[in-house]
Amino acid sequence: MCETCGCGESGEFRIHDLHHDHLPEHEHHHHDHEHHGDHNHHHDHHHEHDYEHSYTHEHDGVTHTHDHPDQKVINLNMDILSENNKLARLNRRFFEGRKVLCLNLVSSPGSGKTTILEKTIKALIPSRKIAVIEGDQQTLLDAERIEKSGAPAIQINTGSGCHLDARMVELAVQKLEIEYGSVLFIENVGNLVCPAMFDLGEFKRVVVISVTEGEDKPLKYPYMFQSSHLCLINKSDLLPYVDFDTEKTISYARSLNPKLEFILVSARTGEGMEQWYEWLEKQPFGSAQGTTLGFAQDKT
Amino acid sequence: MHEFSMAIEVINLAQREAVKNKANSIQKITIEVGDLSGVDADAFESALGLLVKDSILDQALVTLIRTPGLGRCNSCNDEFEMNHRMATCPKCQCFPSEISGGEEFRVVSLTVA
Repeated sequence: MCETCGCGESGEFRIHDLHHDHLPEHEHHHHDHEHHGDHNHHHDHHHEHDYEHSYTHEHDGVTHTHDHPDQKVINLNMDILSENNKLARLNRRFFEGRKVLCLNLVSSPGSGKTTILEKTIKALIPSRKIAVIEGDQQTLLDAERIEKSGAPAIQINTGSGCHLDARMVELAVQKLEIEYGSVLFIENVGNLVCPAMFDLGEFKRVVVISVTEGEDKPLKYPYMFQSSHLCLINKSDLLPYVDFDTEKTISYARSLNPKLEFILVSARTGEGMEQWYEWLEKQPFGSAQGTTLGFAQDKT
Repeated sequence: MHEFSMAIEVINLAQREAVKNKANSIQKITIEVGDLSGVDADAFESALGLLVKDSILDQALVTLIRTPGLGRCNSCNDEFEMNHRMATCPKCQCFPSEISGGEEFRVVSLTVA
């Protein structure tokens, strides 16, 4: 949604290349909105809540299938996310070809994803090439922060959207120079709900939580913790000041996802960051074989 | 909130299938929404209701099939109904070792003319 005027930009997202785009304060073009007359939205849209409705009906014990001459029933059984999953697979193949390690960073807003990336970039470049795709509803602020740390970044503004999808990543990748053997970080929109559903073509999913959040986060947002491979618990320097029980968080998350790995870090002080860099270097660059997102990924 | 994106996906999928099958209209669409699919069926239905206008699904009868969540107990191996992701086996209070049902989110069938 446009912050200045409140009008929705339905389905619109923008990809900003920091070097070619000039983002004015408010570059949203106002069109005259067409509201189909008198705001009396009438939808001929019928709903049925049958739990098992099929076009095969039984009458007096005889089963028959309706077959209207001018109608055709197409039995699809097609995953609604199949289009996204197809694009995600193509993204993954592209990354594999370039020996790129693609990671999708997810968290709630304010857990410190961008700071972790800034520190990681400063520590690993130039020995490791890094590129970043930043996802936010609005602003170029995060991409600018990343570029200042020394890695090429591209910003996707989802507008009213609450998550990135594989198509956005595909388009962003076309604009971003990703060198052979890079780590590509995709910083998703800060949201522990919707991004869980969307495979972007990543090899691994990294969920970040911070010790200022509740230790029950994994229980509250199980889908995200079930679909992730690594959990970074950030802001460990604040542990003496908060009631966060690290062991409890880990046990909650492991009850949902026994394979989830954990690293306790402080992006601010650097504590635990070496372990995170070691984890990165251990990952199979250019080989997404065996990548399974615990949830919502096309299982075919 | 992602239910809106899902509804758009359904309309796009229906549109592609209509073209593929040289259909002029879609009369019915049946969609299966599992209770553990991560999609809120009510929100999805509302979103679809708002978005179908002027789309290929404008006149279509929409049927949602809700599939209950099922898990297999890590301890006794019995299958039990899960009405949310954190449901545990009623006998052993264990988490499931696998989710055996309710993750479906798909278009089951379309009736075209």
